[in-house]
Amino acid sequence: MDPETAANLLLTGMLRGGLYVLMAVGLALVFGVMNICHFAHGEYYVLGAYAAYFAFVTYSLNPIVSIIVAALFSFMAGVLTDKLLFYPLRKRSKGDWIINAFLLTAGLSVVLQNVFRLAFGMRYRGITAYWDAAIKILGITVSADRVIAFFIALLAIAAMWIFLQKTNTGRAIRGVSQDEQGALLVGINLDSIHTLTFALGSMLAGLGGASLLSLSPAYPFGGNKPLIASWFVVTIAGLGNVQGAIIGGFIVGLFESFSYYFLGQGWQEVASLSLLILLLLFKPTGLFGTQIKSVWER
Amino acid sequence: MPLRKAGEGRADVFRRLVLLSVTNLQAGYGQLQVLWDVSLNVDQGEFVALIGSNGAGKTTTLRTIAGLIRCLDGQVTFLDQNITGKPPHLISRAGLVFITEELNLFEAMTVRDNLLLGAYSSTDRKKVRINLEQVFDLFPILKDRQKQLSGTLSGGERRMLAIGRGMMAEPRLLMVDEPSLGLAPIVVVDVFNALKSLHQLGMTLLLVEQNVNHTLQITDKAYVMEHGRIVLHGSSAELLNNEYLSETYLGRR
Repeated sequence: MDPETAANLLLTGMLRGGLYVLMAVGLALVFGVMNICHFAHGEYYVLGAYAAYFAFVTYSLNPIVSIIVAALFSFMAGVLTDKLLFYPLRKRSKGDWIINAFLLTAGLSVVLQNVFRLAFGMRYRGITAYWDAAIKILGITVSADRVIAFFIALLAIAAMWIFLQKTNTGRAIRGVSQDEQGALLVGINLDSIHTLTFALGSMLAGLGGASLLSLSPAYPFGGNKPLIASWFVVTIAGLGNVQGAIIGGFIVGLFESFSYYFLGQGWQEVASLSLLILLLLFKPTGLFGTQIKSVWER
Repeated sequence: MPLRKAGEGRADVFRRLVLLSVTNLQAGYGQLQVLWDVSLNVDQGEFVALIGSNGAGKTTTLRTIAGLIRCLDGQVTFLDQNITGKPPHLISRAGLVFITEELNLFEAMTVRDNLLLGAYSSTDRKKVRINLEQVFDLFPILKDRQKQLSGTLSGGERRMLAIGRGMMAEPRLLMVDEPSLGLAPIVVVDVFNALKSLHQLGMTLLLVEQNVNHTLQITDKAYVMEHGRIVLHGSSAELLNNEYLSETYLGRR
């Protein structure tokens, strides 16, 4: 393989990986802190895409502003979801939590998809580009949208890193994922942390959908691909761990990029799924760690 | 941290302030009632013990006071506020800090992060830093190991960390559940000395223990529990000479 092709594959892999990380981190956060197998995660990606579309096209807002608006909108949607859906479940019964929460998200997914359908119709809501330009990196031409989306993802991930590692609230989120009773005993309001965590997860998904609007338009069933991709990354990296999801996202992005080159599209998917099967056979806890102890620390 | 307020002291008999008042507490787990008519008081600056053998209901009492168990009847008053049935995180924030027997440490976090989380509800960053230094003064071993993961500490060190984390919340009353459990005798001495030091600095303590002899020697007063009831109470000095106690718990005849 010549260096130019290698550079091309590396670049594509990293760009893809960045967005995978964004989605996977949101999912890992929700599973790691709230113990919810979130199967409506893709719908928040779509929500972000719709919000960005209307902000950009209907209200003619600046692309960055549109993306920020979409992120905030997804955050609020996450707050509402936790308060209306998971909070009542937590109050009612802690038994069979994992299956109950999962079923809730499965139902939520169906409801949201059809809400989108009723509200916006089946039309694809897409744009040609936020920024009508192409950027040359290492001799390869990439659309500006894709590059900027990557940097937005990096920024969001860096912000999440600092938030979890350095701030009081971030520390509280980590604590809740490790020992809920301990968290209660130091004065942490569990419900507030759960709501915040879900809102952050939804915001990251919405940010992804908004950033990639030109590449994946908003439509009611557009959440399936991002959902599968994020679950793939999270399962490979180790469920419910954010640091693992960050590394895992880039690994998956690069893996897909290289296997696409060598195997073509159809077989690329076989390669990805084979990787998953092998991992689940020999290291079911994922690539990182023998035991997930915390949402952040590996 | 303001452990002893000016004007308030242990010898100040005429202005004794009742911090915690538990009245006729009935509590249990689901259908099983475990506590029957439990009443106790803890005054400002006192070192109170709750003793009894395994299964007597001592831990259940502390857990109910801390809000982890919903009580069936009775009342818990702290600092003149009715805290019965309040959620545990609010009770902790009110200054009633509970250190469980299982410690509930954040295992994957460093000693330092655990301590910082102890001060979660505090907004004054400078005060948090000062309190952290005070905890390090009290437990120098924690300062040495502050960057270590708390899951890697020894049993005694974990106990110190749990107490230190509790102190970071600037408690008015500290409830400690069986700190000596599972520790080597020499480490038990360290832990009891730490609690004694805290008391001497002005902290009000409610201690649950099975080790009756040691406990009565360092506390001011004690309540004895059996089968979910308070069967005996009085000053620790009196109780050490009490016949029933001596026979049942201290093995004398």
